[in-house]
Amino acid sequence: MGDFQVHRVRLFAFLPAGLRCLAAGPSARLAAARVDGALELYSLQANGFQEKVIPGHERRIPEALSWAGGNRLFGAGLSGEIIEYDLERLSIKYSLDAFGGPIWSMAADPTGAQLAVGCEDGSVKLFHVLPERIQFERSLDRQKGRVLSVSWHSSGARIAASSIDLIRVFDVKSGHAVQRLLVDRRAKGYYTQKSVVWSVAFLSDGAIVSADSSGKVQFWDSEVGTLLQTCVVSNSAVLCLAVSEAEDSIVVGTSEGAVYQFQLLPVKMGSTERQWVRTKPFQHHTHDVRAVAHTATALISGGLDGQLVIRPLMEKVESRSYEAAVRKVTFPHRRLVSCAGKARLLLFQYPQHLELWRLGATSATGRDGEVLPVSCPPEHLLQLKNKGPEHISSSCISPCGGWIAYSTASRLCLYRVQLTGEQVALQRVPKVPKLARGAHQLLFSVDSTRLFVASDQGSVHMLKLLQSGACKHLLTLHPGSESTEAALLLAVSADSSWLAVASSDGQVNIYNLQNAKPHCMVPAYSCPVTALAIHPVTNNLVVAHSDQQVFEFSILDKAYTPWSRKVQQQGLHRDWLERDTPVTHIAFNPKESSHILLHDTHMFCLLDKSLPLPEDTAILCNQPSLKHLPRAARHKSAHAFKICKKYQPLLFVDLLDEKTFVVVERPLMDIKAQLPPPVYQKKFGT
Amino acid sequence: MVARRGSAMAKNKEPSESFSSEDEGSDDAPEEVTFESARVAAEEARRLAGERARREKTALKEKRRQREELFKEQKKKKLLPENVLEELASSAQNSNKKPSDISEHDQSIEDESESVREDNVMEDNEEETLAVRLEQSYMAVQLKDEGLANKQQQAARDFIQRQLYGGGSNRTTANKYFSLENKKGAVKKAAVQFVVNSWGKKKKQKAKEFTKRWISSEMIPTE
Repeated sequence: MGDFQVHRVRLFAFLPAGLRCLAAGPSARLAAARVDGALELYSLQANGFQEKVIPGHERRIPEALSWAGGNRLFGAGLSGEIIEYDLERLSIKYSLDAFGGPIWSMAADPTGAQLAVGCEDGSVKLFHVLPERIQFERSLDRQKGRVLSVSWHSSGARIAASSIDLIRVFDVKSGHAVQRLLVDRRAKGYYTQKSVVWSVAFLSDGAIVSADSSGKVQFWDSEVGTLLQTCVVSNSAVLCLAVSEAEDSIVVGTSEGAVYQFQLLPVKMGSTERQWVRTKPFQHHTHDVRAVAHTATALISGGLDGQLVIRPLMEKVESRSYEAAVRKVTFPHRRLVSCAGKARLLLFQYPQHLELWRLGATSATGRDGEVLPVSCPPEHLLQLKNKGPEHISSSCISPCGGWIAYSTASRLCLYRVQLTGEQVALQRVPKVPKLARGAHQLLFSVDSTRLFVASDQGSVHMLKLLQSGACKHLLTLHPGSESTEAALLLAVSADSSWLAVASSDGQVNIYNLQNAKPHCMVPAYSCPVTALAIHPVTNNLVVAHSDQQVFEFSILDKAYTPWSRKVQQQGLHRDWLERDTPVTHIAFNPKESSHILLHDTHMFCLLDKSLPLPEDTAILCNQPSLKHLPRAARHKSAHAFKICKKYQPLLFVDLLDEKTFVVVERPLMDIKAQLPPPVYQKKFGT
Repeated sequence: MVARRGSAMAKNKEPSESFSSEDEGSDDAPEEVTFESARVAAEEARRLAGERARREKTALKEKRRQREELFKEQKKKKLLPENVLEELASSAQNSNKKPSDISEHDQSIEDESESVREDNVMEDNEEETLAVRLEQSYMAVQLKDEGLANKQQQAARDFIQRQLYGGGSNRTTANKYFSLENKKGAVKKAAVQFVVNSWGKKKKQKAKEFTKRWISSEMIPTE
């Protein structure tokens, strides 16, 4: 691998927000909303990659998500508004006040033409889903108590709505409550505790499933209003519930962080009588599981510990190998750190502020694996707070360290930073050109004279930065073909003559910046792009996809390079393809043109193109064992993937110069220590 | 009883000694008190009472004055900074405000609709006039919506908080929760947030070296 000096940075206090609601949608997509209001879209086909992120908003925090009318996503929250998300522009399309106070729940009817929302004032309101908007239709009979959950019957004629201590069944046609099911409370010493029914589901055979705060999952007959079955699942609350499409399996999530599966199984072998049985417990979370989803092949749960867990069901998965592995998403699949290599500055992006740090330095030298004493500690130079309720969607620091840019959903801010000795001077660039909306991604050119702003419909704005501290809009690059998806990732070549733009539909366009024309397009690939970069010397574009494939594309030849073809022919190592986090950043060693640096959450890899690719029988992560071999043997068993797993979990890795790495770590224990209080669990002997 | 007598003894030096001893309600015959001493005592008491009243009055005055000052300061705080006020006053003559772009326009419409919902005609008028007076670069934004909606939202949020973390929810702290493992393991360790790896570095190093030496010394005789 070579000798490197590594800056091991633990200054970034990244804290994932808890997951509030999940909605499994069409074409294997999963929408997840966090308690800070951010919305994330995962593609379950593309290895659970976090395709799109809509940054949070302080006043628009969804309590419920629902797919309706095909591929449209709606959210509703305590602000009392129903929001439609624009999944192409990654913003909020419009919002509509339901005028029923805070909204607790939302469900789309089986045809996807109507939305039912449950409000704080006790009403269930129906909205029509029209092609471009939604329209209030009517309100079912208003009852007492907030409506915490609603669920449609598959016929679309009945709605079950849960409240505190009871569940009501509404007839949609007349709007009257036809059934009132009382949920018993839990006795706790001398008093009883109210039973909050957090979630209900209406099954097509007329049964209602409820999950309540006293830890019970109950099955009711909605026709006669009787209790069919009670399962006490937990000592604490059961918070959420989801039913599979075939209605033979239910998943529930509890306050203790456990997730249970219920299955409809025959009572005896060969008998036709079937009963719901609690089958599998899973304990992947430490905190309250407030959202679960059930797809055809997997149970998905999201907790207040900020983790999304995708648990494939073994009996539904065909291949028993990698498909069946549990997938945990803790860290975002995009970069929140940017680095100014020459100035040795790091910029950390938090939801509402940015932090600028200067790296520490050491004067000592040591042997391999030694920890060197820090002679000059890292310095917190700047904290830049964002104004307004919108969260920051992207940020960037220029390679020279003289400019900082960040963007929210509606505006772009540019700052001039001057560091003279101990003094930090920050100056806002006054007249940033008014672009249509905020940026999805920002990037400075290597010489810090241009700022690229990724925008809607695959377009990229180019701003010119002047030394005097002003900027002006130069031009806008549009993709040759009509695209409606937003541009998400940018890469610029070192000589500022090429720009590569990846949009969210997986297209990669390359522009010639000399004449501001589209140059070519990288051949389409089925999986989304997770990272891309242009080599500073050879001007080859390196693209990493969510299925862990790596391609090298020669911009000048408009074709894949021979090395890339060789990789595709031989295939990548199995262990490489089975990693479960995507590559989020690609960098290059300026002195070694054959080296490519890639990193994901659990490792970073120096890909040496001059060495042979590993066979499937070889060990992929062989660096530790190579150390103990004599020099001659070492050369023989070396292969192209030089992987280091010493630093974990990684948020960012970059090469500062040819002999220095910077790695930004975020230990899981540091995150856990800052999480909200979990439920106490009695362990014998403690 | 003893203690009470002791306190009476201590009070003996005071002029009001005779009264105090009478208050005790002891069975002794009343002591003989000369007219002169009684007069002196009465005068002294009157003087003390007067002084006390004066003191109280001045204290009250001082308190009032301080409160007045506090009010003044608060009022000053509520006002916008001076330069902003001046700016506002100077821009009053300027022509009415034109929304410079769509987003600003939207914002102002939203503000107006919100204030209409509040049914507060006075405030609405005030806001409009303010919007008229402001320069183009200023934008009126409602910082806090204190309407019914906000109260309901707060109630809803409190409900979640109460249900998840309120009484009877049986919560522990993250530190205790994650420390259980350390407590239960074969090797007992301190709580998660109290483990500082940099502590005792020298001792750890020493122990390591010692075990190395010990192992080698054990190995040699057996061979």
